[in-house]
Amino acid sequence: MKTNTMSYKCKQFAMFAGVTTVVFAAVVIIPFLYGLYLTFTSWDGVSTQKPFVGMANYVSTFADTAYWQALGRTFIYAIIAVILVNVVAFILAFLVTSGVKGQNFFRAGFFIPNLIGGIVLGYIWKFVFNRALVALGESLSAGALSTSLLATSGGAMFCLIIVSVWQYAGYMMLIYVAGFMSVSADVLEAAQIDGCTNVQTLVHISVPLMVSSFVQCLFLTITRCFMVYDVNLSLTKGEPFGSSVMAAMHVYNQAFTYKNYGTGQAEALILFIVCAVIGVLQVYIGKKAEVSA
Amino acid sequence: MKKKILAMTLAAVMAVSLAACGGGKDGSGDSGNGGGASGDGVNITIFNSKIEVQEQFEEMAKEYSEKTGVGVEVYYSNDTVAAHMATRYSANDPYTLSMVDAKDVYSLAAEHAVDLSDQDWVSKTNYAISVDDKVVGFPVCIEARGLIYNADAIKNITGKDFNPEDYKTTEEFAALLEELVAGGMAAPTAVMKEDWSLAGHFLSETYEEQPEVEEFVQALYKGEADLANNSKWNAKMDTFDLLLKYNYAADSPVAAEREVSEQKLAEGEVAFMFGGNWDWSMINAYEYSENMGMMPLPQTATDGTNEKLVGGGSKYFFIDSSDNTTDEQRQAAKDFLNWLVSDAEGNAFLTEKCNLVPAYSNIDAQSLDPLSLSVKKYADEGKLIANYDYLPDDHYSKCGASFQKYMAGQVDRAGLAAEIESYWSSTTPVEH
Repeated sequence: MKTNTMSYKCKQFAMFAGVTTVVFAAVVIIPFLYGLYLTFTSWDGVSTQKPFVGMANYVSTFADTAYWQALGRTFIYAIIAVILVNVVAFILAFLVTSGVKGQNFFRAGFFIPNLIGGIVLGYIWKFVFNRALVALGESLSAGALSTSLLATSGGAMFCLIIVSVWQYAGYMMLIYVAGFMSVSADVLEAAQIDGCTNVQTLVHISVPLMVSSFVQCLFLTITRCFMVYDVNLSLTKGEPFGSSVMAAMHVYNQAFTYKNYGTGQAEALILFIVCAVIGVLQVYIGKKAEVSA
Repeated sequence: MKKKILAMTLAAVMAVSLAACGGGKDGSGDSGNGGGASGDGVNITIFNSKIEVQEQFEEMAKEYSEKTGVGVEVYYSNDTVAAHMATRYSANDPYTLSMVDAKDVYSLAAEHAVDLSDQDWVSKTNYAISVDDKVVGFPVCIEARGLIYNADAIKNITGKDFNPEDYKTTEEFAALLEELVAGGMAAPTAVMKEDWSLAGHFLSETYEEQPEVEEFVQALYKGEADLANNSKWNAKMDTFDLLLKYNYAADSPVAAEREVSEQKLAEGEVAFMFGGNWDWSMINAYEYSENMGMMPLPQTATDGTNEKLVGGGSKYFFIDSSDNTTDEQRQAAKDFLNWLVSDAEGNAFLTEKCNLVPAYSNIDAQSLDPLSLSVKKYADEGKLIANYDYLPDDHYSKCGASFQKYMAGQVDRAGLAAEIESYWSSTTPVEH
């Protein structure tokens, strides 16, 4: 059987990837293109008419200061959260692979927050910040704690970051654990024999060999942080006074609550481009840093 | 060859499993329940936007299906009504009957609603909504806003029966609050920090109580209205300041949770909260006091606005007119609306099961909850100030955010007025 003809290749592709391609096109590619088309209309989301308006939605996107504020806020949130999530996850992974007693139990324990959906997580932490901490603060008569953190604009952002770290650190920890496990024991032993201290082994042997874990974790946390919506909705709902509205929430409000579907779609596209550029750039730089043993 | 067969089988299995996952009509996040299909009948879908009556609606759907053979499915969504309608219409999957707010009827009716002018119930209500001279909105109930009071809690301290009519002005109200505090009630009021309550319900009363509502709103759009020096605004804000000052969460008013506020009110820990008769659905979840009710918001006024509640028809059904709904479904939906108004069982469903204040003259209601009884009393006496139904969609969230700033002490009253004025002047007027 000839295996280098066009028809053979097409058949091979159709057999193995055909269904997936059709589904991927139906749920990702086509909606994306349709969404792109909607950015050129002044559709309100319910009307049967979709009047074509050209670039007007992009003009109003650039004029929408609330959107840029939300995007800026998302940047700040994402930068802090990404760093904290990865630092915490790496430390946890290091601890649970260093041979402490019951490390499988700890791995499962740290991972569990990730199994709770973002909406539920938000409500749980809302209770913690609004009631538990306040009650604690009152009983200790510690002034700073006796009012809810969620009631101040800086505090609400702080709470969002805490919850995100709590949610994602366990998941990223698993990836880092896999990275630690993938470092061959031979290399580590060789390093020990050559006289490396534990810290030197970690910095000069383990970390360079698990760069791919860093790339993956950074990519996952960056995209998730930029797209954050569920925790934002259930924990702060954008309050107080709209000071914790993230980009995704602003897009949703713009499209559905304020009924500017076209503008909302255009803003979503810009958010997508920002995420895509940062994500791809980060993976590209990360891949360059990878080494093989 | 064997490998090829294996590969084909695997691919087929995957395709089938994908199809199985993708099957089934689903509205994400909606809860659907009801009678399901019946033998010969038509199936209709109903969107309910009052969470407090969702269970009653589901139960009713079953009974209604058994009796009439029309399959009824009831849906609810946590989204705002306008946003949910938008997602359903953009998915070409509208409900046969949708329960929406008045402003949604105005924005949707011209394109999506069926003309109901010829229906029997039209002559029995003063609250139906017409667009382009056609009746399109079926009022589900009457709701009104005002100050909710807990008479038992007040009596415990003052020792006298609480008569709401004695407290019409801000000064009289302030004196009572002072008396309550002196009598040992640590904080006699609760203030909801939700944007829909602050801007959608409280602030909007400032417009609704103007002598010329439409003129005032148009002036706001043009940036010509002087809110800061408006007597209505200042009267309202004087009372708001009082509520805020005596608020149990005065330390951190924007952290107040609605559940806590309702519980304190129900159990008599606080005596007053601005709200509406829909709040009963939360109050009755707690050990509520026997004597509660609603009164007009006390304020310094000479135009009688401090003797009336603000409200009217609330939640409207409209029937979808698009090609996604068949004529049989539309007829079944019309029959359902008639059943609500003209059938004793339908009446009982509205007033007894759902505890709604009826918007129809032929329906009598004795066994309503205390707040609804107050509303019915004011409605029957003609003491309701009409809702203004043409607020822009982002009014409650943007002005609500400004109001929260005021509560947190980040802006003063003049600053709040300026923010609201600038919101209006930068907003495209709602056509109507």
